[in-house]
Amino acid sequence: MFRPVVFNDEVCDGCNLCVEICPSDILERSPTKGKPPIVRYPEECCYDGACWLRCPLRDKGAIKVVPPLPMKVSIFGGNR
Amino acid sequence: MENNIEVVSIDTDVLIIGGGLAGCMAAIKAREYDLGVTLVEKANTMASGCAGTGVDHMWAYIPPVHEKMGYAIEDLIESHTKGIAHGFIDPGLLHMIARESYNRMLDLESFGLNFRYEDSPFPGKFRVVTQFHSVPSTFNFDGKDVKVHLTKEAKKRGVKIINRVTMVDVLTTPEGRISGALGVGTRDGKIYSFKAKAVVSSTGRVNRLTRSLTGVWGNTRLPAYETGDGRSMAFRAGLPIINMEFLSPSAFAIGNFELNLGAPRNTTQPAGSIVDGDGKVIVPRTHFYDWDNLGKNRVDTTKALHEMLGTRPSERPDYFSMHHQGKGPFYLDLTGGTEEEIRYIEWSISHEGKGSYFLEYLKNQEGFDFRKDKLEWLPNSREMAGTASSGLVVNENLETDIKGLFAAGDEVGGLPWVCAPGAFTMGWYAGEMAAKEAMNQKRFSDVNGTKLDALREFCHQLFDKKDGLHWREVEIAVQNIVDHYAGNARTEKMLLRGLERLKDIKSNVSLRAETPHEMGRCLEVNSILDNAEMVLRGSIERKESRRIPFGFYRADFPENNDKDYFVFLGQRLSGGEVEFSRIEIKH
Repeated sequence: MFRPVVFNDEVCDGCNLCVEICPSDILERSPTKGKPPIVRYPEECCYDGACWLRCPLRDKGAIKVVPPLPMKVSIFGGNR
Repeated sequence: MENNIEVVSIDTDVLIIGGGLAGCMAAIKAREYDLGVTLVEKANTMASGCAGTGVDHMWAYIPPVHEKMGYAIEDLIESHTKGIAHGFIDPGLLHMIARESYNRMLDLESFGLNFRYEDSPFPGKFRVVTQFHSVPSTFNFDGKDVKVHLTKEAKKRGVKIINRVTMVDVLTTPEGRISGALGVGTRDGKIYSFKAKAVVSSTGRVNRLTRSLTGVWGNTRLPAYETGDGRSMAFRAGLPIINMEFLSPSAFAIGNFELNLGAPRNTTQPAGSIVDGDGKVIVPRTHFYDWDNLGKNRVDTTKALHEMLGTRPSERPDYFSMHHQGKGPFYLDLTGGTEEEIRYIEWSISHEGKGSYFLEYLKNQEGFDFRKDKLEWLPNSREMAGTASSGLVVNENLETDIKGLFAAGDEVGGLPWVCAPGAFTMGWYAGEMAAKEAMNQKRFSDVNGTKLDALREFCHQLFDKKDGLHWREVEIAVQNIVDHYAGNARTEKMLLRGLERLKDIKSNVSLRAETPHEMGRCLEVNSILDNAEMVLRGSIERKESRRIPFGFYRADFPENNDKDYFVFLGQRLSGGEVEFSRIEIKH
């Protein structure tokens, strides 16, 4: 199963703004108030990063969007 | 099982379907009149549509810049018509967009968006950059939060926004006037029945017609949840849809992420170049406009256009042919850029499309640095070609053949590459026209209940049909058919076979849903199926090839045939049969 959105439950305060705005509607409120949302439909993430972009605690690391392996870019050069 | 699906009835003077750039602008403008305005959106207006997570540029005739250079608005229109659309464009609406785009920029500025930069040498402090016109018409803005600003402005003006409702049908009176629309709540599972005096349809383009190249669902350049709902609704209501055959071959861009930042133009300018594995330059880098020299002398506008037309093909090489010649792999290379250029490009990417998240991923998850590393240039998935060449037919007031039904933005056909300025200007204008139409209607028209009953039954069946198929398997089957039968080279025999197979799915497959969320996906798949049929039918009807600008190739009619096919091909439902029409393009 894909793991597109990873929450840090020590930082995320469960405001659920991401649940409200996710265009693909893949997130669901946690039954426990103040806890990170549940990724209900992980295979329907469209990786636009809206949840991360609008997260009030994103700079503190509350949320991370991770593309699946086939979507990772192919990098060349530098020190690799 | 008893059908207990709840119906929510809402009366609104003006109904806007789809809250992207065009829909939000339409709602904002319509509220300048003393009318109730409802904006219904399948996702959430804060982050939905092609600019849901940003757009960093638009184009306009910019009077303070262009008057000084000697460009008239006609030069911009000519450049767009000849250089971008190759004549395949509605000239009247293009003129409106070119004329009004600057005014809409001023409106957007008043909503809190920033368009001016202290470091710019251009008049008005605009950041004018190279894109696709011979007239330097494209300028950047801080557009990452454009949808947040538009949503706030719409709410401030009293627009009623209803999120998470996917629209399914437009409703008309027996006299052919709009009376309302029907939709389904994809969170609450309720049916929404709207009565409206005027309606604007602005649901954007159709995606998910073919499988994404990476195999990851939703990995398309444009939003995966835009599924051509407006085209499907309009078609079923008997309106003609044009240019659906122009589903284009894939193009090369940043691999896997489906992020077309363009090179050497667009978001990777000026430092972006394309190189092969040996470091040999395939496409050279560009440079910023030099206003100190540009502003000095008036431009020879004819010469500028001819220069642009002359250089275009060499700037976008045919990477597929080069692969066949053994010249790959290719890379996007910014390593020769100055620190200032890299910083500018990163700023630009962070405001464009999925770019903000892309940069975060690139830097923090991959440790990537544009100063040292290169990104492989790979094919992106196919998509409906050239922004909004397909879509609904409208008159000069953006009204369809259904009285009181307007369209705006990517919903409108016959306007290739009008992009964000097309959405801003058409949205605004459609909002104004819809409001005026609603003002003239004393009362609401009665709504015929047949379609509501049919929708209730359809939704009920979705939950009741234990042997129905999951939406995803139907979507993949449809995509496989479009990929195989309406591929880069099409023939009548193959297209007819593909249509038979699509018809077979339509006639014999039932969908199943277990949640309102899945019900929404089922409705999207139905819409994709309608759109897929339109692609194949339109392809059969266009018995020629038109490789520039749409990449349309019929193996059984390989020549371009302007005499018979320099027209928009329309298809509409009439008495259960599909009728084709040819709409002349008047220049």
